[in-house]
This record gives sequence, C-alpha cells and structure tokens, in this order.
Amino acid sequence: MSELREGFVPNPILAGLVGICPLIAASRTLAEGAVYGLGAALIALGLGALAPPARSAIPERLQAPATLALSAALALSYAFCVKAYSSTIASSLWLYLPLLAVSGLSLSTLRRSANLERIGPDGRSRLADIALEALMFLILAAVVGSLRELLGLGVLTLPTPGISPQRLVFSDFPPLRILVSPAGGFILLGFLVAAYSAIVKPGGRRNP
Amino acid sequence: MSYLGIVVTSVFASNALLSYGLGNVPTRARDGEKSGQTSTALALALVNALASSFLWVVHSFVLAPLNLESLDILFFALLAAPLLKFLAKAGSAREGALSRMASKADDLVVGSLVFGVALITANAGFSFPEALAASAASGLGYWLATVILESIRERLELSDLPRPFKAAPAMLISAGLVALALMGIDAAFVKGMTG
Repeated sequence: MSELREGFVPNPILAGLVGICPLIAASRTLAEGAVYGLGAALIALGLGALAPPARSAIPERLQAPATLALSAALALSYAFCVKAYSSTIASSLWLYLPLLAVSGLSLSTLRRSANLERIGPDGRSRLADIALEALMFLILAAVVGSLRELLGLGVLTLPTPGISPQRLVFSDFPPLRILVSPAGGFILLGFLVAAYSAIVKPGGRRNP
Repeated sequence: MSYLGIVVTSVFASNALLSYGLGNVPTRARDGEKSGQTSTALALALVNALASSFLWVVHSFVLAPLNLESLDILFFALLAAPLLKFLAKAGSAREGALSRMASKADDLVVGSLVFGVALITANAGFSFPEALAASAASGLGYWLATVILESIRERLELSDLPRPFKAAPAMLISAGLVALALMGIDAAFVKGMTG
C-alpha cells in the first residue's frame, strides 16, 4: 500500500485541482481526454521552455500580454495540428482547444515562469516540475475521458487519425449515460479525488 | 430567440461553470471574500459583456470577412485582455464601489471564463445586442452557480463527511448534482416558452 501511495504523491493536479473544470467539460471520451490532455501538457512544456527567455528579452510592462499571446499562439498551433490529424476530434473539442491558452495548467506555468531562476527552492529544475505536472494532467485527462466513455456509453473512442476515429464497443447499450454529461463528469471526478485523498491521507473514516 | 430566452438560457441551461466548465468550482473559502456581493456579480457581468462585445466586433468585421475566424483567441489575447486589464487597473485606482468592482474585474480578465464566454458568443451567430445580453447573462449565471456552491460548501463544512470526501470531492459531487438540476432547464424548452 505504501508503494502505491508513493506513486501517487505528489499529484499536483488531483491535489490542487489545477485546470479541472474545463477538463470535465472537454474530456467526454478517451480521444477527447487524451487530445485535450496532450495539448495542455505540450503547451505547459512550451511555455515553461519559452516564457523565461521571452520575459528576459521583453520590457517588464509588456511581459504579461506577451506571455499570454505566446500561450495563445501555442494553443492555436496545437488546434491546427489537431484539425489536421482528426477533424472529428477537433470539432468535438471546438471551444476547448483555443481555451488551452488560458487553462489552469498554462496559467500556473506562466506564474511559475515569472521567476527566472531555473532551479526551485527544493533543488529541482522548474522545467522538471512543469513536466511532472503536465504528465499528471495528461494521464488524468485520459483516465477521466476513458472512464466516462466506458462507464457512460460502453465504448472507447481511440484517438486515431481521420474523420472517423476507431471505436471499441464493450456494451450494446449505454450503461450510465449521465457520466458523459458535465454533471456526470463533476461527480466522477469528485469520486476520483476522494479515492486519491483516501490513498494519500489514509486513517480514520470520519473527523471527530 | 427572444432576449428573455437568451438570458434564461445563458444563466441556467448553458451555465458557464456547470455546462461549459468555464472558471472554477469554489472548493475552499477565500479570505475575506464573499462571492454573493453585488460588486462581484456586476464585475462578472461587465467584464464578460465588454470582452464579448470587443471580440464580437473583431470577429464580425475583421476576422470573418478575411476567413480568419480561428485566429480570434490570438486577437483576444493580444488586444482585448490587455485593454480590459488597463481599464480594470484604472478603475481600481478610484474610490468606493467602483474600485471594489474594478479590482475584482482585474482578477477575472485572464481566465477561461471570460475567454470562453467571448468565444462562445462570437461564434453563436448572435447580433451585437444579443451577444451583449448573452455574455452579461453568462457572467451572472457563473455568479449564481458560485453563490449556490459557496452556500453548499458552508453547509458541508459543518457536516460529518467521511474524511476522503471532505472539501474538494464533496464540492465536485455537489457541483455535479447542481449541474444535473440545471439540465432540467432545456434550451429548446426555454426557446418554446419565451419565443
């Protein structure tokens, strides 16, 4: 159990709920979750790598709009790549691909990159921290998307290229269709965060 | 759809937080801040209306004629966000209720709520007054959702919940149940009722 616990700690996404609300609305299927999570991760990594040198080259009062524009440019580039890869996935993520520019993960990366030190107070590289957070977000988005689709519709849509992504059918009828709606997404994520809390902070069912 | 229909749909059926996942579910108490304040509601409505009207103009008169609609997020980040930030900073330097509202607006400008609502209204095929009404109503809908969730959070803090469900998980599940209730207000039904 302790090994399992160590694998979960630290999970900055589940612990801090970074960028969680758009993720709920965006990741209704495995394909959407994986593509959305990958986008958020790549943009966070891109901002982590590009924002500090950009900040040092730009006057201070222009830094905030410039880094926001950089984030928007990265999100836009990713949206074009997704559209070229699969127009079906791109159209199902219509609002959420450009919004990756201001996702919780992007904004937390921008806040972190405001500090030009490459090494954090804990001795770890800031880029390594961002990469860990990005990876956790990607995994969480894919897991949330697959659980919602599998339990909600009984199928799994793979993020394959083209206009009709490949689907694996596990059930002839939708077992729990509510999970595909935003309401179901909030409820499922609530249970996931509770499971995470139970693993990370065990002991005692109730507070006195 | 009538203006009443647009407002009801934007506040309830297409709630920015609970239907589109824009913004944040209030999972913990914020120091000295009450989301139920009128200044918060006004700031949300005003920032959303200003941002959306700006993007609507750019989208309709610049980007759409050039077939460059997909670049609207870039234009928004380059032009609208800095302009709104400047206005909010200028307002927060003044005294009184305007200052409180402006400082709240300053916090809101860069975030998925304002960007998302602006993108939705710009691409929904609304006329300018309709886009203005929809975006202001979306801000009020977000405010309403956070007020409901804040009051649930205050009650949950006093409840005897299993430890893993304390705080964020209970709030997310509650947000799901509120979203489920709002799903009962269907956009097509509202359109039929309000014309």
